[in-house]
Amino acid sequence: MNKLRLGFFKYSCCMGCSYFFAYVHKHVPEVLASFDFVFIKLLSSKGTPEGPFDIALVEGAITEAWQVDELKMIREQSKKLFAIGSCAVIGGIPAIKATTPELDVEKRVYKNLSSIHSIKPHAVDAYVKVDGYIRGCPPAERDLYEALTSVLTGRKPDFPQYSICIECKLKGNICVLIADNMPCMGPVTNAGCGALCPSMNRACYSCFGPMKQANSPALAKKFKAMGISRDDIIRKFTEFGADTIEFRKAVEMVYED
Amino acid sequence: MTGERTFQKFKRLIPKKAFLLWLDSLRKDYKLIGPVKTGNHAVFKEVDSSEELFMEYGTTMLSPGKLFLYKPNEELFRFAMSGKITIDEIAPIAEKQIIIGVHPCDVNAILYLDRTFLGTFRDPHYEARRKNTLIISLNCTRVSENCFCSSVGAGPFLHAASGYDMLLTDFESEYLVEIKSRKAEELFGLEGRSAGRDEMRLKAEKEKSMKSKFKKAINVSGLDNIFAENMDHPIWQQTAEDKCLSCANCVMVCPTCFCYDLRDEMSMDLKTVTRYRCFDACQDIMFAEVHGGNFRQRRAARLRQFVTHKLDQTNQYGVFGTVGCGRCITWCPTGIDLTEITREIQKFKS
Repeated sequence: MNKLRLGFFKYSCCMGCSYFFAYVHKHVPEVLASFDFVFIKLLSSKGTPEGPFDIALVEGAITEAWQVDELKMIREQSKKLFAIGSCAVIGGIPAIKATTPELDVEKRVYKNLSSIHSIKPHAVDAYVKVDGYIRGCPPAERDLYEALTSVLTGRKPDFPQYSICIECKLKGNICVLIADNMPCMGPVTNAGCGALCPSMNRACYSCFGPMKQANSPALAKKFKAMGISRDDIIRKFTEFGADTIEFRKAVEMVYED
Repeated sequence: MTGERTFQKFKRLIPKKAFLLWLDSLRKDYKLIGPVKTGNHAVFKEVDSSEELFMEYGTTMLSPGKLFLYKPNEELFRFAMSGKITIDEIAPIAEKQIIIGVHPCDVNAILYLDRTFLGTFRDPHYEARRKNTLIISLNCTRVSENCFCSSVGAGPFLHAASGYDMLLTDFESEYLVEIKSRKAEELFGLEGRSAGRDEMRLKAEKEKSMKSKFKKAINVSGLDNIFAENMDHPIWQQTAEDKCLSCANCVMVCPTCFCYDLRDEMSMDLKTVTRYRCFDACQDIMFAEVHGGNFRQRRAARLRQFVTHKLDQTNQYGVFGTVGCGRCITWCPTGIDLTEITREIQKFKS
């Protein structure tokens, strides 16, 4: 079988998804056998970001105008394009600034703004259509395989779209939200991690971002009733999902309260 | 799960210590599963000795039936796809096991699961485990905050005729042991005191006193039609907006929810695919996604599906989908209570 051409593109993020991908290809040699790594900065400085690509993986949020231009070009040259990691999927950590005016954020960090060209942070799908979301921070291993094998076999990938609670109960964990009164974000967070934090008796902090149609205002109300402060509730819903419609609703509700 | 052959349904009073020692003696042939205290909660799990058992537990988060008979996650078969498709069946695994301390609601829940997995279509995996499992039920000694089993006839004392093996009632230092299956009759080797009319009268008194302790109740008369006639009652939309998170905790902890999903996982070399089965939930937005659309797109519709399946559809199996264990109320992050929803709708009706 001819190897499929793979490109891995990095925008505003910690490059953790590249590291994760490097880890996976080291441990699962079939990945190397099936794909030709045309461009992945972390592994080789020789690659060129020129298509066509059979599969493009994009990590990082889009926070500068040049990234938008390049991303559009990659989309046009790629048969399949997946957003990988929370920054690319929902905006993630770089999108914390999404709720503050851009100039205010810049002034807080830089004295001289002449070389700063940042724009409002958004997820990859705000600019181009994506074929699937490999969620998480770091991304879910199973979802990465699912994306890769779906491209290899030409089928539609199947990613979970339900809450962390389902994974948590399948594992038999006692609910930390109800039993231990911890402000767990599990009920509104998309599954994929295997309920990692609740399995370690810690509250979920929603690094996978909101699940589809999540009713975050109802959970924010519950947190308030539990005695969690207004600021802490806002932090919970803006740590990763500040640029998502689902979590914005909770933040707005708390602001209006 | 015993045949129709008759057996002696004897009743004995056995000192608790002697009974637990007898259980330990079965451990060479059976895996012993029972309630164990972990932190502030009880969990059903395998034990090495009857000393670990916590028989005075209230309720567990997950029911024994949906842990050890109907498995949360189960591999069904593998298939390879090099050229033509070859299927590698996974034989049903059925270790002999005893589940002790199953409360009446959870026994009734297992009987409900039987209707699904041993009904028109028999599930070989479930059937193998069911046949190799001995169920020792324990009548309740306390009523938890959200229990409403007495309203739906599923507790606090067990009255099911068959489908389980032994029934225990707490008689202070003794257990009243009632043999309910041939398998149990053959296994049970203790003499004890035989229980007569006096003991049964005492048992009835205990049941009566238990029934008076319930804080939660539901009026079940006419429920069959009441939901069908109130599909658009405002309570559905209101609860869905104010409280329901669609997190599916209610479904996952429900001892009778039987819906499952079949998933395929492909190896990276594309040579083998594993098909496995795991719990699915009607609260998951993808549950009702079919070609051309989603017939439960609205959260209110999904919430209504759960509540009505528990309380309305007696025409599915001729019994309620709920056993009144109250787990969905206890473990709902926002405290949605199906008995309150029902009362709201009944108020509207009258």
